[in-house]
Amino acid sequence: MFGRFKPLWGKKPQLKSSYDAVIIGGGLHGLATAYFLAKEHGMNNIAILEKRYIGFGGAGRNTAIVRANQRTQENVPLYKEALDLWPILTKELDYNLMFNNCGNLNLMHSEAAMNTARMNVCTAQFHGIKSHLLDAKQLKELEPAINISPDITYPIHGAMFHPPGGVVRHDAVVWGLAKGAARYGVHIHQQTEATAIHTKNGKITGVDTNRGRIHTPRVLVSAGGYSAGMINKMLGIRLPISVLTIQAMVTQPLKPVLNHVVSSGMYHAYANQTLKGEIATGAHMDPWPNYTTLTTAHYIKHQAEALSDFLPFLRGVKFMRTWAGLADMTPDMAPIIDGNDPIDGFYMNCGWGYFGFKSCTATGRYLAKFMAGGQCPDMLKPFTLRRYEKHRLMGETAALVSYSADN
Amino acid sequence: MALTISCPNCGKRNGYEFRYGGEDKGPRPAEEGLTPQSWCDYVHMNNCVAGIQKEWWCHKNGCGAWFTIFRNTLTNLEVEEPEAKL
Repeated sequence: MFGRFKPLWGKKPQLKSSYDAVIIGGGLHGLATAYFLAKEHGMNNIAILEKRYIGFGGAGRNTAIVRANQRTQENVPLYKEALDLWPILTKELDYNLMFNNCGNLNLMHSEAAMNTARMNVCTAQFHGIKSHLLDAKQLKELEPAINISPDITYPIHGAMFHPPGGVVRHDAVVWGLAKGAARYGVHIHQQTEATAIHTKNGKITGVDTNRGRIHTPRVLVSAGGYSAGMINKMLGIRLPISVLTIQAMVTQPLKPVLNHVVSSGMYHAYANQTLKGEIATGAHMDPWPNYTTLTTAHYIKHQAEALSDFLPFLRGVKFMRTWAGLADMTPDMAPIIDGNDPIDGFYMNCGWGYFGFKSCTATGRYLAKFMAGGQCPDMLKPFTLRRYEKHRLMGETAALVSYSADN
Repeated sequence: MALTISCPNCGKRNGYEFRYGGEDKGPRPAEEGLTPQSWCDYVHMNNCVAGIQKEWWCHKNGCGAWFTIFRNTLTNLEVEEPEAKL
């Protein structure tokens, strides 16, 4: 029981002075990219630099929900592939990712919202993803815990039901991918901070760390919420990102009562019951950019009010823990994935907002293809940074340009 | 985290009375010689500073004034204007 701690990803490797690729950020996107670079492209001379420990950031702070019922034609196929990958990766990594495809219910609180949901359903069905609408009565039959009374703040008109979505154990994904990547020879360097990125004649030449310099022709920044500030500081490339703290909390454990992931845009709340019985629930983001990752009484109160309205069985149930992470929001709620522009060998993968978890595996796989061959796969082309100067923003959310509590 | 903001008219008030208005990007660029890139830079691009930044706020649930303050994004605390670097 008190044996020595042996990480799944092997012994601590020596930091070499040169690698074929350096990935800054030991989160899910970085680990997935490294795993697929090594496994599918034979590039195993790779280093992952993580300032703290793998899974410290968004990877270990999200509420573990996975789904593929987004709005636009460009985004949905990527999320679908990610959703399809969970059972495959569970086998491939020989590690139980605890994928529980319990289904997602998005509550709709007006006829206008039902119409919007109808468009989302069309996008999903066009791509062969199961998703359909429920009226309030069908919703109540499917999930009896929900309050469909007209006497609540935002009465429920119906819901969008997405059966293949659900929950994946986020820590298991971190550990499984780290184990897989290390098996193919990837070096995972924890407590190693990248301090500078070097370029010469428009090409990447190396990375400075607090443990010495690394020579490399390829650098990927996938440091979650810290990416935008880092890319601006190290390379002077400004990004259309606002970094906001987003909070989440769990209640005391209850007997099985909630069978789906339930979310409501109107209440700014979502909830699911974990396998331990706790209700894991998340709130909206802070209304101003900050890197504090601190929780506030404001949101605990908000969450209690929202949940006791549409999930009344939670009245009187206590919150047990609360935490927060960072969401890097873009004006169109879609990520920025780009490479070799304007610097050869520089890749970035950021701006995921609160969608980073559900997309990590498929994105890592395509990004690995991008980094190995230098050509951007079609799947990632819509996410170029240049879309903003062409004013071709994606329509994931209507009219979200400057992030604030109002929208 | 609790944030208080100093409104030039109403003094120090609860942060939830205010609307964040983005990083201070200086004056709007002149129409003349404006390129899609420079317009995009002004409209969309941020510095995302982990530290002290100058930013716009509106006292939306108060007097309605727009003004700038300095705030440390790592602590969420309003700070005095940092001295200009020599």
